[in-house]
This record gives sequence, structure tokens and C-alpha cells, in this order.
Amino acid sequence: MSGRLSHFHGGLVLRHHKQSSCQPECQSAGIPEQLMLALSTPRGSQSKALVQVGERVLKGQVMAHPDGHFGMVVHAPTSGHISAITEAATARADAPSGPCILLQPDGQDEWLETTPSPLPTDPAAIIERIQAAGIIGMGGAGFPTHIKYQQLQVGPTTLIINGAECEPYISCDERLMLDHPSEIINGTRWLLQAAQADRAIIAIEDNIGGVKSQLDAAIKAQQLADIEVVKVPTIYPTGGEKQLIKVLTGREVPSGQTPLALGLIMQNVATAKAVHDAIEHGRPLLERVVTVTGDSVAEPRNYWALIGTPMRHLLDLAGCDWAQTDKLIVGGPMMGYAMPDADIGIEKTTNCLLALPTACTKPELQAMPCIRCGDCVQVCPQELLPQQLFWYINGNDQTNDLEKAREHHLFDCIECGACSWVCPSHINLVDFYRYAKSEITYLDQKKQKANLAKQRHDDREARLARIKAERQAKRRQKTAKLTDKSSAKQEISAVLARIKQQSKEAADD
Amino acid sequence: MTEALNTRGAPHLPSRISVQRVMRWVCLALVPATLAHLYYFGLGILIQMILATGSAYLFEWWCLRWRQQPLRPFLTDLSALVTAWLFVLCISPVAPWYVAVVGMFFAIVVAKHLYGGLGNNIFNPAMVGFAVILIAFPQAMSLWLPPSGLMEANPSLGLGELMSWIFMGAPTAGIDAVTAATPLSAILTGLQQGFALSEIVTQPIFGDFGGQGWEWIANWLFLGGLVLWYKGIITWHVPAAVLMTTIAAATPFYLFNGDLYLAPQQHIFAGGTMLAAFFIATDPTSGCSSDRGKIIFGAGVAILTVLIRNFGSYPDAIAFAVLLMNMAAPMIDRLTIPQPYGKKPQDPHHG
Repeated sequence: MSGRLSHFHGGLVLRHHKQSSCQPECQSAGIPEQLMLALSTPRGSQSKALVQVGERVLKGQVMAHPDGHFGMVVHAPTSGHISAITEAATARADAPSGPCILLQPDGQDEWLETTPSPLPTDPAAIIERIQAAGIIGMGGAGFPTHIKYQQLQVGPTTLIINGAECEPYISCDERLMLDHPSEIINGTRWLLQAAQADRAIIAIEDNIGGVKSQLDAAIKAQQLADIEVVKVPTIYPTGGEKQLIKVLTGREVPSGQTPLALGLIMQNVATAKAVHDAIEHGRPLLERVVTVTGDSVAEPRNYWALIGTPMRHLLDLAGCDWAQTDKLIVGGPMMGYAMPDADIGIEKTTNCLLALPTACTKPELQAMPCIRCGDCVQVCPQELLPQQLFWYINGNDQTNDLEKAREHHLFDCIECGACSWVCPSHINLVDFYRYAKSEITYLDQKKQKANLAKQRHDDREARLARIKAERQAKRRQKTAKLTDKSSAKQEISAVLARIKQQSKEAADD
Repeated sequence: MTEALNTRGAPHLPSRISVQRVMRWVCLALVPATLAHLYYFGLGILIQMILATGSAYLFEWWCLRWRQQPLRPFLTDLSALVTAWLFVLCISPVAPWYVAVVGMFFAIVVAKHLYGGLGNNIFNPAMVGFAVILIAFPQAMSLWLPPSGLMEANPSLGLGELMSWIFMGAPTAGIDAVTAATPLSAILTGLQQGFALSEIVTQPIFGDFGGQGWEWIANWLFLGGLVLWYKGIITWHVPAAVLMTTIAAATPFYLFNGDLYLAPQQHIFAGGTMLAAFFIATDPTSGCSSDRGKIIFGAGVAILTVLIRNFGSYPDAIAFAVLLMNMAAPMIDRLTIPQPYGKKPQDPHHG
């Protein structure tokens, strides 16, 4: 990094609300009475359970295997008995519910005996170790980490470690960087090797104080020249993959492609820490840091929580006043997902639980018509025209208008919510874009199916017509031969001559 | 308890912005220029404000009821007030009462509600109202007061006299003693009578740049516009495009024949240019969406204004220029869709 940063279009400067939860020590949330481990993963894949109801599992034991491309390995976060494998609510917006393993901890926290394996030496072995540890992107998207490295093309590669939590309230990454800088640096080193990358940039926001010196000290201690810590301006959504790449490199990820197209690979700091644990200690991903905060919570704090810990357990630890809680949000206030209840297990991607009383949440407001003021255009980090998108989506379910939305680059929307945030008419714009995206995708699929069916039908018609034509041609040939007098005569005389010849030969013999 | 958790979607934090807040800032930005108007042209504007605002809200209420829309949010959004205010700043302070009523009928009922209400109007409502009365009542629109401090005889008209003038009709006797043309119509009349511009502008109403009083109203409008820009209500694109294109378009004509065509500063300060630049062409509903589109829109308004003023039969032209560009706005929008992140044609680091 030459120290010169670029900037992305628009964005918002928001109040951080991070101090209160980041200041206190990170505590262990302990072992709850029950763990709820989701088997569905962020990209619509599922993991297949390998355990039976009633079976005792040990800490670190594999309970489920990937079933499909984006599936992940699920380990038992502690020892206990499987009480059920059932459908339950998830902590994600993409699928409100899915299959889930319920684990009754026995409190002994007994590890599965494993023989320590030697440190991996080549990239493939590192990637295999990452996959076996059940590591997926811990920043929120939950993309299985190993897949990024499998898709990697040969060429100069830069690894970006994302420590920029752009949303207010969330402080788990900051706390992790303060507490475990050398582990993160070490994990980064392993990821560098896995990607065969030239260098790594650790991006942190400029509003977090002591983190840079901590990380720099760890880099110095390990004598690494290819890892650099860079402070980026705290503008929402800097932590978004596309925006952070623009800030750090001045380049834009081509629409519809991944950062790999630019020779870039991005991981969250928590993922780097998990990689360190997996490779150096052979420990699979069993727990993560979760920020528990919001005005309903008496003592905001970060917790080390076992994957599957019910949200209620964490919120009770932090002293949540349930009676006055209006919303329980997984993630931050801009893109987070409001949960229907608190008896849902946290996942590997759950970075923050935000409990807000009525006074702190957006009230139900009468949405006014869009006056096209253009405030949304000013803040859109993807340089879209949100008001035009809304115009074409609102109240229209005719495909031609949705087509216009597509022409206005609907599918480049990253759903950051900056437009909804500044809309003076209180229109929840992102809801409209989500609707339109799914509607267009559905219509596309339908159209594709219809086209395929039509193609098949046309092919069949053509085939039948061809067969019919061939048959007709043959028949025509035959009848033509018979009806044509001269050729018929010729044929008859030829036959007669042949017979004569034969009878003559017979007579000669 | 937890059963009652609210699952409404993001964003989750409350915000203080509203349509009403946007409109409130527009109104606040109009206050200095309105005070200047009051100072130079007397109490007439207050009476016109009451007339226009009153009829605007009456029509608004009537249309909302007729369209079965909720009354409260739409009557409190202040958009009708903005329309009425902009309209009043365009008309003569002594225009007869029906001018404001007819103007507001076309602004609120025709231009706004017949097109679908707030946010759906294709044309700027205030300019529709203004254009209608320009065409319907040319006589009344040409009758202005001289700016204060100019004529000895200009009695700052008392409230009673103003009221009788506005409601009962203009006094027939001695009207020339108390009225004056606007600078732009004085120029048009002068040119039609065969005078050269250099002769015309020696009349005292012309002040330093564009017109006594007028230029100060323009200055205060400029200040109000800067406030709107600073508060993020408008962006710089439209005002910059209008003002710079006006200068760019007017200068060649002026250099070609300064006795026939207005000087650039007269274009800026004499008529409604400043109002158009910051308050009318910036109307987002009837304007363009993208930054590039806004610049084209503003430039179009300026070019049309200069052309109509130089060659047309109307002294000022902002209403027609804005309405013509309103027509073009959807097409400009279609042609200026910006390339978003990741779709720009040239990546400097690529290829």
C-alpha cells in the first residue's frame, strides 16, 4: 500500500455506538442448557447429519457433513447428547427456518481424542484443513472459506483481511483484534500460504484506537514484511467487500464477478483467527465472539459463545430487559434481521445481537410518495439510481417495468440500506429491491422453462414433419415409377427380356 | 414479552428526516428573498401569499378528499405551501385576486393531482400555474410596482389601497404614476419601440446589474440557494448548470449586438433566473435523476430562457423554459443512466 486510499461513492457517517460493548473484557458465555446447531448454510445448501438422536457426542466430533457445494462441516461445540434433529428457526434472513441438531450438553466438555497432525506444508493441505475445521466466512455472508481458494487462478494475488465493521453497535471484530492480535496475524500467514499471495492487507476503521498498534506489534514480533495494517475511513458501508476493495485498491470488482477477478481474496479477521486455531491447534470452529448490545441490555459486552448457543442465554447474561424490548436484531441496525423470538441458536456468521426498546427503533411511519429528491442517489455506494428503481418496481407487477429496473442495474444493489436510511418519504426501498430481484429471478426461470418446453415442442414437431416428409417422398417415388408409362413399359420389357433370356438359357441347357 | 418482538425490516434505527423537513428548508431558504421583496415592493406580496396559500390548500384538501387520500400526512407535508410561495414570487404584487386563485387551480388541481399527486407530477406545478396566468392575464402580469426609493410619487401603497387594488381592480386614473414595468418587460417594450438597449437601461429601474430591487432579491435567492445546497436539500448540478449556461449562452449574443441583446449579468439578475436556478429547476419530481441528467436539464433551461428572452415575445421565459425541459426530462433520464460500481467501461488498472 502506498498509503493512498481511494473512496467509494456515497455512504453514510453514522454514530458508532460501539464503545459500551467494546470496552468491557470479552467473557465466556459458558455452556448453555441446550445448543441449537443449524444444518442449513447461507447459500441454500445443507449439511447431512451423521449422528442419531440419543447418541452421545464429544467436543469437536463431526456431527454433519456437507451435502452440496456450499455445505459445511458441523462439529459438536461441547460434549452431550443429541436430543432431537428437527426443523427450527435460523438466525439468518435468507431462510427463516431449517433443519437443526439439538444438543443437550452434559457439562463435562469432554474433547474427542485426536492424534495431533503435523502442520500442513502445501496450499492444498491448508485448504483441506480449513474445510475440515468447518470454517466459513465469519463476517456475515458465510461463504465457505475453502471454496475461495479452490477457485483461485494462478497469478499475483493480494489477501485482504477485513477488520472494518461498518455497521454501528457491532464490536466483536475490534475486541477480537485487541485480544488476539498474534493469532490473527498467524492465521493471516496461513491464508497467505493457502492463496500463494504476495502480500496481505489488514483493513481496520480509523475510529478504533489501539488496534493498529496491537496488530503492528504482532507483525513485528513475527518479523513479517508482507502483512500491512491499513486504516480506512469509517463510512458506512466501508466493511462491504466491494466498497473496501475500492477504498484499498481504487479498483472495482466487475459486476457479477468475485474479487478473484482482480486477483483479490478477502477474509474476515475472525476467519483468520479460526484458521489459526484449526491449523496450529487442530481445533475446529466451535465458538465465536458475539457482541451483545443495545439499549435494552444492561451490560453490553462481547462474549465467546459456543456455536448454537440460544440468543436468550446471551441476552440474559448481558441483563436484557425483555419487557421493554421491541426488536431483537441479528447483525447491525442497517442490514440486520429482526428475529421473531430469542430461542434461536447463534450461527458461525452471527456477529451481533442487538436488543432495542421501542424508543430506539424506527416507528411504523406512513410511507409518503417518492418525491424523487435524490438523497438516495447521493448515498448509494453502488452508484445506482434508487428512486428510479423504486419507480419501476412500485405498484407494477408487469414484467416490462421490472425489466426497466433490471436495465437500471437492480442486480448491482448490495442491499446496504443507505437509501432507506435517508429516504424522507420513509420508503423501505431495500424491501422493494429484494422483492423485485426474487420476482425477476422467478420470471426468468419460468421463461427459461417455457422456452425449453417450446424448444422441445418445436423440435418434436420438426422431427415428425421430417419423418412424414421422408415417408411421403418415398411413396411419391414409388407411385411416380408406377404411373410414369414409359418407365413402366421399360421396366416391364426389361423384366420380360430377363425372363426370355432365362428360359432361353434353360432351353439351351 | 418476547412473543411480541417486532420483526419489521431494516433499517432499524429511527431517523428524523421527512418530506416535511425538506419542504421546510425550501421555505426557510425563501424567507430572505421574500423579505427583500417586501422591502422593495411593499405589502402586496403578503396579500398574494395569503391568497395563493389559502386557495392552494383549499384545492389540495378538495383533491385529496376527491382522490380518497389520507388528509393529515399530505396536508402537513408543506408541498402546497412551497408551490404557492414560488408562484407568488413570480407574479406582480398587485395582481388581481383571481390571478392567484386561477394559478393555484392549475398548479394544484391540474398539474399536481390530475397527474397523481405528490411525487407524480410531470410538470412543475408552480410553473404550470404561472404559465397559465401569463397567457390568460398578460395585462395584469405586466403591471408592476416600481421598487421603493425610485419615484417620489411612489407612495408605499397603504394596505387599504393595495386591498382595493387587488380585489376591486386597478385604479384607472393616475395609474402610470404608481406603476412601472419589470426590467425585462421594459427592455422588450423599449426594443419594440426601436430604442437601443444602452438607451433603455439608463432608466432608473435598472440598478447596477439587472434591476433596482430585483438584483437584491436575486442575491438573497442565491444565499437561500446556498443554504439548500449546504443542507443537502439540493445538489450543485442544476444551479451551476443554469447559471453558467446562461452566461455562456448570453455572451455571444451580447458581443454580437449589445444594443439588441441583454448582457449576461442582466440575464442573471433581472428576471427569474436565480429563482429558477435554485428553487424551480431543482424540483426533483419534475427534473432529472442522475448528476449528468441534472446538468443537461439545467443547461436546457438556461438556453431556452436566453433564446426566448432574446427572440420571443414574452419578456421573461423561465416558466416556459422549465416546462419544456420538464417534457424532456424522462428522455434525458433514459439516456443518462449512470454506470454503477463494477460496470464502468474503463477500469484504469485493467487492460
